[in-house]
Amino acid sequence: MALYEPDRSQYPAKKPDGTLDIDLTSGKYLKLWQGPQHPGITGNMSLELTVCGDEVVDCQTHVGYLHRGFEKLMERRTYIQCFPIVCRICVPEPDFNEYCYAAAVEELSGITAPRRADWIRTLILEMGRINSYMMYLGGQAGSLGMGVIGQWTTYVRDLMLDRFEELTGARIYHMFILPGGVRDGLPDGFEKRMEETLREIESTMKDVYEAMFCNAVFKKRTIGLGVIDPALIDPYGVTGPNARAAGVAKDVRRDFPYLVYPELDFEPVMGKDSDAYTRADVRRRDVLLSIDLIRQILAKMPHDGPLMAKIPNVLHWKVPRGETYIRAECSRGEYGYYLVADGSGYPRRVNVRGPSYTHAVALLERLIINVNISDVAALMVSFHTYPPEIER
Amino acid sequence: MRELYEQLKRLFPLGEYAEQRRDLSFVTVPQEHLRPLLIHLRDRAGFTHLVLLTAVDWLEEGFFQLTYLLNDRAAKRDLGLRVLIPRDGATMEGIHDLWPTAATYQRELREMFGIDFPGSPRVNEEFILEGWTGMPPYRRDFDTKKFSEENFNHRPGRATKDPAKHMKEKLYPDEA
Amino acid sequence: MKIRDLLSPFTVWKNLFRDPVTIDDPVRQRPGAPRYRGFHKNDVKKCIGCGTCETICQNGAIDMVPVDGISAKDGDSGLRPRIDYGRCCWCALCVDVCMTKSLTMSNDYQWIDRDPDAFRFTPGVDRKKWDDAALGYQRPDDHRLTPEERVHMKELGPDARIGSFIEIVKGYSVEEARKEADRCVACGLCTATCPAHMAIPDYIAAIRDGDYERGLRLLYDTNPLPEVCGRVCTHKCESVCAVRHEGDPVAIRWLKRHIADQVPLDQYRAIVGATEPATGKKVAVVGAGPAGLSAAYYLARMGHAVEIFEALPAAGGMMRYGIPEYRLPYDQLDKDIAFVMGLGVKLTLNTRVGKDIALDDLRKRFDALFISTGLHLGRSTKVPGADHPKVFQSIDLLRRVTLGEEIFCPGEAIVIGGGNVAMDIARTLARLQMRKYGKVGVTLLCLETEDVMPADREEIIESREEGVILRPGYGPTHIETDGDRVTGARFVRCLSVFDENGRFAPRFDTADEIAISGAMVVESIGQGMDLSYLPDDLKNQIVFERGRPKVDRHFRTSVPWLYAGGDIVQGPDVIHGIANGHAAAVGIDRYLREGGTT
Repeated sequence: MALYEPDRSQYPAKKPDGTLDIDLTSGKYLKLWQGPQHPGITGNMSLELTVCGDEVVDCQTHVGYLHRGFEKLMERRTYIQCFPIVCRICVPEPDFNEYCYAAAVEELSGITAPRRADWIRTLILEMGRINSYMMYLGGQAGSLGMGVIGQWTTYVRDLMLDRFEELTGARIYHMFILPGGVRDGLPDGFEKRMEETLREIESTMKDVYEAMFCNAVFKKRTIGLGVIDPALIDPYGVTGPNARAAGVAKDVRRDFPYLVYPELDFEPVMGKDSDAYTRADVRRRDVLLSIDLIRQILAKMPHDGPLMAKIPNVLHWKVPRGETYIRAECSRGEYGYYLVADGSGYPRRVNVRGPSYTHAVALLERLIINVNISDVAALMVSFHTYPPEIER
Repeated sequence: MRELYEQLKRLFPLGEYAEQRRDLSFVTVPQEHLRPLLIHLRDRAGFTHLVLLTAVDWLEEGFFQLTYLLNDRAAKRDLGLRVLIPRDGATMEGIHDLWPTAATYQRELREMFGIDFPGSPRVNEEFILEGWTGMPPYRRDFDTKKFSEENFNHRPGRATKDPAKHMKEKLYPDEA
Repeated sequence: MKIRDLLSPFTVWKNLFRDPVTIDDPVRQRPGAPRYRGFHKNDVKKCIGCGTCETICQNGAIDMVPVDGISAKDGDSGLRPRIDYGRCCWCALCVDVCMTKSLTMSNDYQWIDRDPDAFRFTPGVDRKKWDDAALGYQRPDDHRLTPEERVHMKELGPDARIGSFIEIVKGYSVEEARKEADRCVACGLCTATCPAHMAIPDYIAAIRDGDYERGLRLLYDTNPLPEVCGRVCTHKCESVCAVRHEGDPVAIRWLKRHIADQVPLDQYRAIVGATEPATGKKVAVVGAGPAGLSAAYYLARMGHAVEIFEALPAAGGMMRYGIPEYRLPYDQLDKDIAFVMGLGVKLTLNTRVGKDIALDDLRKRFDALFISTGLHLGRSTKVPGADHPKVFQSIDLLRRVTLGEEIFCPGEAIVIGGGNVAMDIARTLARLQMRKYGKVGVTLLCLETEDVMPADREEIIESREEGVILRPGYGPTHIETDGDRVTGARFVRCLSVFDENGRFAPRFDTADEIAISGAMVVESIGQGMDLSYLPDDLKNQIVFERGRPKVDRHFRTSVPWLYAGGDIVQGPDVIHGIANGHAAAVGIDRYLREGGTT
């Protein structure tokens, strides 16, 4: 089976300055662009691959296809006006932006959101996590030619969007968690309908398990693909399921508990083989964990009490000078907001730290070497990257 | 976290210290001491994870603040290192050899703030912008509104009135 | 490779026999959730056009536009929000911040049109199919983006205040004022209603910024008596405050007072600025009340030489001789007056024009005259017994109290009238009784029922707290006298005060009669003016309208050099007087600069 040199890391040769010795005119190498519209690329990002035969020997990532300058736009908006735009940084899982932004503003303003709002925030974040994983599962399967998984997960994601719609008033960009609390409580009968949705997701996850995880093709192509050496976790800023699949128990919910996580009973989902299959499996089990967490939340959460703290008049809300960093565990890893306030009514600086920033650029560029072209999409999706987190 | 600060202070000349939360502090570090401090923190103090590297433009004061946020997962704490560098000809030593992922941050800072990191991989290549020749757009003096008005057309037919001015026009146009 | 891994994928086939989950007809079968944030609705009758929705919109999607059939009026700009759906992001901050809760959203989210401009419309004005949608996002009651509760004003309790004339309202601290100023949404609806059109949102913003110099300059642009107005203004502005619809109105009056309180008098001149170069023109002002002082202030600033003639021993008019000290302390009034005088205005006291000096003399010595002599004659009920010496006029008594005279004050007194002046005398008598007898014995009766009494609500509450007995809804029939003593008065139930045309024509139920005992009766049912100082030939040249001199918009009478303002033109009100004085000053300035002929 072995078609290549045993020690692939020696190939191609490196020049004394460390760059690869690739002579494109030799006819041995080929530049191949994958993306930004390639179906295997989640979102708008492109990979400039240098291939030799069907093996990738070098990769440069290119972003910039959906740069909207959110961080800059926020410097020109009042604190409340930033609230509707933060969610737009990340389509599949917008709520972490809302939570991190709201919590950062609250912390610098010395405001504490009511406890009941914390419960609802946690609920929303877990609902969002499931949705994000549903998109991932469809994408991961799709990158290997299994279209049907995406159809199933899109269906149950849609059910969860219905729950989002009745809770928050919107399906994709919920704009529900704002500095000070949340907009409203649970609608009547929400728990019952949520339970039905969760059962549907569980049943779908069983099907997904059978059709995807117990599938010879999927296993063959993902086991051993893109192994992240645990030694790379910190140098490359790897977090979330990518780290947990490597046996490093990084989970912000456990390491730096926020909202009501200290009151919930859970253990981070772990893996050990650190390959694409393990990462997919960690995420699959994380869905089941989220289902369990949502059940716990609905059972334990208070049903009365305020949902908003007393906040200043939002039209001229000034936040005292200071800086802070708020992090949360999103489906892809550590999501965080670094907020600097200068005492005026506008943020001095907002920096959004998305996990894909490191996963999709530095980590990908390293792990893609010597991967077969046909596995590139699967590898990239296996890091579960969202390009908007890179360029914002 | 003050304890850590006191320890570090014995080893490095440190500036202003601010404890934001029990588990998050910021400390100002002279530019030339950043690197040894980072190595110390990474290798001896448990701060193995570089959470982010970004800049804040203090235009009025004439300097950039570079924030290196480090995380110590075992001890559950974060330390933000603030390095203040002059805005004019802003240059900083790269840390991509300490954390390979820092190269991406440095490349972005080069493009968006115009802060140079000599020797950082691909630092002068376009990262997000394409064919951008103007001022680095994340600098405070880059006016996004002006940019959008110069480059995009407004759809005609929009007009608004200020309530107070409109009431004066309608109710007491002649009065002072 | 396990055999299971080869077989298990075939479980996919079980879905062959499953019904599709797709909704066949989403347009009809899939309404938005009850809180769905769909197209906007606006109850245009409830909307006040404050523009807060436009201010908060981060997309710049909202324009405030005039609408046919809705005109600007007190508390309503007449504008309505028009939304550009090419920009709207459905965040509903406009709904959350809406001051009246008029702006809501429907759960309708489907609308197709070939004309892109159709997606820019005025909800509630341009009819849309979702206007009557029952469901959709509305601001939940507890979800507030602007604080609805007024910052509590510290006041003396009833027990502490009844024994003295110390000012009741303590004023805000800097921190409290900032918090209260924070509640303002800066819509500016109040400015139109304020007779002086003060830049209210701007000076409130100055408080938020802690910039009292800017605040004071803004006050003096339109009002040279901020300490007075900050205490006793009728604050019509607060009755149109946008915040009042879903909360307490912003305490505009207290905030104004706060600015003036924060700045010491000796800094005023440096802050507000000096006068313009002298013009050489001279103006006489008759009466040193709010209108006269205001005219004098602005005329002096414009460089004219101004002299005020005042009959009483001190300036201030009704502000001093009408309003009791516990509402407006004399030192605060003196502070405002001192700054006006500091501009070089000459004040001649104890000089009654028409008696001590003839109006014709003034005419000869000055280039223009401004008369603002106020309403200092009390009106009588003229019921039997009203001419008795122990039946008093409220304003006479209030004046005498200020002058330091001892007034007749028995243990039981009856006050007739339901306005603020009636409250002033009732509460003044209560204080005097408390000093003299250790208890309060004042009964106040008026024609109006409590809900329509002209007095301020807080006056009604506070007078009750101080022990005054209020009997609203009664009119006097006669005053019972016994020689040189008054023993009481009889009242009958008043059924209505005005007739269907709105004219004063009270109807009574004579069967419902009550007797109130008291050794004095104070009438406080209105005041009249005394224009006897005007020579007859001049009086004949002046056109009167409903008993008041007719003036143009610069408060010029039919006589070119004679301007009039204040209570004699506009009825009793400090802020109107100040506005009149300012407008007259602008008119007089123009008249003088044009040569003083037309």
